[in-house]
Amino acid sequence: MIADRREALVGRVLLVVLMAVTVLPFVSLFVTALHPSGTYPSGLAWPDHPQWSNFADAFRAANMGKLLLSSTLIVLGVVPAALLLGTMAGFAFGHLRMPGHRAGFLLFVLGLTLPFEGIITPLYYQVRDMGLLNTRWAIILPLIGLFMPFSVLWMRAHFVTMPDDLSEAARIDGARTWQLFWRVHVPLARPAISSLAILLFLWTWNQFLLAIVLVDDSTKRTMAGALGAFQGQWGTDIPLLCAGALLILTPTLAVFVVFQRRFVAALLQGSIKG
Amino acid sequence: MEPTTIGRRRVRGARRRRAAWLGWLFAAPALLMYATFVLRPLLLTVQYSFYDWNGVTASTWVGLDNYRQLLTDPDLFASIVHAFELIVFFSLLPVVLGLVIAATIRGIATSRLALVARTVLFLPQVIPLVAAGIMWSWLLSSTGLANELFSAVGLDSVTRAWLGDFDTALPAVGVIGAWVLVGLCTLLLLAGMSKIDPALYEAARMDGAGALREFFAITLPGLRQEIGVCVTVTVIAALASFDIVYIATQGGPGNSTMVPGLEIYYLAFSEREVGMASALAVALVILVLVCVLPIQRLTRDGSR
Amino acid sequence: MSLRKARRPLLTAIAIAGLVAGAACSAPGSDSGTAPGNTGAAPATAPTCGAQPITMKAYFETGFPLPKRLTDEFTKQFPNVKWDIREDQFAVITQNAPRVLADDPPDLMRLPQVSELAKDGLLKNLDGYAQAFGWTSWPASQLQQMRVNANGQRGDGPLYAMGLNFSMTGIFYNKKLATRIGLTQPPATLAEFDTLLKKAKDAGLVPVNQFNGGGTGGLAFPLQNLMSAYGEPGPINDWIFQKPGATIATPANLQATQHLERWVKAGYFAPDLNSLDYATMMSRFIGGKSVFIFDGDWESGNLDKQMAGNAGFFLMPPAQPGGKRAAMSAPLTYGISTKAANADCAAFFLNWVATNRQARDIAVEVGGSHPMGPAGAYMPAVKQGTVTAGTLEAGATIGKDNGAMDFIANATGAIYAKSWTPQLQKLAAGQQTPDALLKTVQQDYEKQIKG
Repeated sequence: MIADRREALVGRVLLVVLMAVTVLPFVSLFVTALHPSGTYPSGLAWPDHPQWSNFADAFRAANMGKLLLSSTLIVLGVVPAALLLGTMAGFAFGHLRMPGHRAGFLLFVLGLTLPFEGIITPLYYQVRDMGLLNTRWAIILPLIGLFMPFSVLWMRAHFVTMPDDLSEAARIDGARTWQLFWRVHVPLARPAISSLAILLFLWTWNQFLLAIVLVDDSTKRTMAGALGAFQGQWGTDIPLLCAGALLILTPTLAVFVVFQRRFVAALLQGSIKG
Repeated sequence: MEPTTIGRRRVRGARRRRAAWLGWLFAAPALLMYATFVLRPLLLTVQYSFYDWNGVTASTWVGLDNYRQLLTDPDLFASIVHAFELIVFFSLLPVVLGLVIAATIRGIATSRLALVARTVLFLPQVIPLVAAGIMWSWLLSSTGLANELFSAVGLDSVTRAWLGDFDTALPAVGVIGAWVLVGLCTLLLLAGMSKIDPALYEAARMDGAGALREFFAITLPGLRQEIGVCVTVTVIAALASFDIVYIATQGGPGNSTMVPGLEIYYLAFSEREVGMASALAVALVILVLVCVLPIQRLTRDGSR
Repeated sequence: MSLRKARRPLLTAIAIAGLVAGAACSAPGSDSGTAPGNTGAAPATAPTCGAQPITMKAYFETGFPLPKRLTDEFTKQFPNVKWDIREDQFAVITQNAPRVLADDPPDLMRLPQVSELAKDGLLKNLDGYAQAFGWTSWPASQLQQMRVNANGQRGDGPLYAMGLNFSMTGIFYNKKLATRIGLTQPPATLAEFDTLLKKAKDAGLVPVNQFNGGGTGGLAFPLQNLMSAYGEPGPINDWIFQKPGATIATPANLQATQHLERWVKAGYFAPDLNSLDYATMMSRFIGGKSVFIFDGDWESGNLDKQMAGNAGFFLMPPAQPGGKRAAMSAPLTYGISTKAANADCAAFFLNWVATNRQARDIAVEVGGSHPMGPAGAYMPAVKQGTVTAGTLEAGATIGKDNGAMDFIANATGAIYAKSWTPQLQKLAAGQQTPDALLKTVQQDYEKQIKG
């Protein structure tokens, strides 16, 4: 019993230390953001005169309203489409299991470990030749393609667990395949779809490489890409940079805090399945 | 009986053909996007790697020259070496720390503290890597919090600009990556641990096994799949690292934190050496596969 | 899935992938050659920005208020012209230049190095504008550095860039700290300067807070100053202009690099030299944390504002007493993309900067340096004792001694980021010798010129 209690205490202490280490950089960012613009505050010193106005300045300088809009538009462009396409393909490979489905699925699996840098160079020229450079489509379309392997894998893993008799019963009732898909299976797949949606949202919002290579205008990028541009323009003013970075982080953090349980579950499952 | 059986078989045959066609119809949109924006560029990368091209004017065929240069140019080769060095920080550190921490907090895994911890420990995974890079660049600067803490405990001599020093820049980048990934690994392993049958631990305790034996005999084997996942995710993060290095060190000082992802970006878009960039990209893709496939082999227990 | 069962689907998958490869058969790149319409023929009349509302796309460098002030004044005088300005730091601008000029062309872009961009046909030939606006009647040395011939060598050929003004570089010092080391007048020889540095170090001050981090090796400033103190500026300029047979690994330059190494070893630079970026250096100097910095007069306006009366300037002293002085003095170059939508207006702006009275006022007050333009053009009065006055006067000395050099960082597009910076950072960390440094840079230089 004593051993258990000691274990528990050590465990608690360890957990608190780990949490502190995790949170410390955020705190440092916040404290630095309050210092007067243009200074180089040392360490974790609370400023004599906290400059709350830095946040307003950063908001204006970063064009936060437009950034939020841009990132939201990109997410709206990527996530529903990727969900639909991934679910349809997952349904095909996992449930319909047409001849050759293993080959098709393997084709997607090949792309699972592909780092984006592996294709960014020709992707740039391809997007340029399509005339989409410097538009939001330059990020949206490639991302949908790049998310296909994971989405197909994820949804197929769900559909594989669906019993065949379900579809048999629906077909006997006269349902055509699309109705079977849309009316019967998709509602049943809702937990898997919503977890996938969370993961895709996160990965889209935080997408950096595609944003800085394919889009020059920071108001047409993702939040992460815009942060890169913000650092480029204001990076020499540390407090302003910190304020801007915090502002850019806030939407993601807010969404996370609200949906935390779904997030955590989704991220954990996502790593295992991927 | 016979006519109906034949009839049913014919209907089933027809249905199967329709099913095949429909199945591929369902998969077609995904395949189209994937082929257009992933497969085609991937094959183009391979093609470009055999040319010398500046992205603007005509290209010249050079065969395997780019690959030869990749193996002989010390700077290019160094970037690959650095990626492997980062694996120690991005992968080994989070997995080992995660194991230790998860094993220690197993007992209180359902307490309220643990639930709060679950949210907090995930924060690094939720923010863009760029933001992590910015935060830590500031922390690790010569006047940053890290040095302040070192001075506070009397380790004044250790203080320096961690990301600007030739010897410490790469480890410093590694620490940033470890910070991003340790929470994920801890929680993954903890979740895996909750799936291990507690009866096994009871039996072990009954046999008088200490905590360490428990760990090596029961916990570790039971976590094979989760460890495999942790290692895979973190190894890919290390080999394909771009965001953090781009923001924190830009590959410097000198060449000491250059990684393949960043080198590809510079070669292709700043030095206009598309062929060389593509060769490095192909090498990176192969490297990731070579590292990840064995891990998957070793740790997946066959169930899919 | 056992390997045998997986073989058929695997082969099919690879076959499908192979089919997709059909789309990727032809060799990449087109034979478009130089862009059409880049002959630089003189326009019939001097171009203007017209009367229609237009938005100029500009790509400037972070941390330099001069271009923004100029564009603001321009909009005041020409209300139909609005500016959409994007800013990035020096290293990123140089990185992005080839890509942006080709695929997302701004009308006006800050371009530290133009020879490769000109060779690739990405920049507009400005000879036509030079004739139409009469730039050819200005002192030839002003435009010389921005001329690039067909082989990528500079110094002659068509004009591919223009400057907003003519910079001057040297050593800025903190007057208050200077009194502590007995600096009453600028050192006349290199040896005197060495003594001052030692005195500063002994007094517990940071002698030189030079930047060398952030992707930009600022030790190039003192290095080049030392090179011209030990040798002639002529060979250095030849190397920068890519004249055939030019080399940076000369005996004089070796002495200069060894001298720099001595300074590093003596601890005359800040301990975190390799992680100091330009902005931090300025912040520390203005905050009184170092005695000297090697910098240029683009900061004069800023220093006169933030360190009023406390900042001084002198040129790098020669090695021998009474020797000629040399300094880096180059226009802060801006280029117009061949695909720019409003090239005429951009050229008109560049001309306006050099000829308009308010523009010249701003160039001197905010930019702190000498505007381009005809000799004897209007110069605003500058208060005596200000740093700006100091840097402007230095221009006269350099002109007399014919000691103007371009920056060694501008020899090729990538020489600074890929060669000088890593090598200088290694030297600062004690991981490179002066001899090997120069030889490596020369090797990289030759490779980059060929490719």
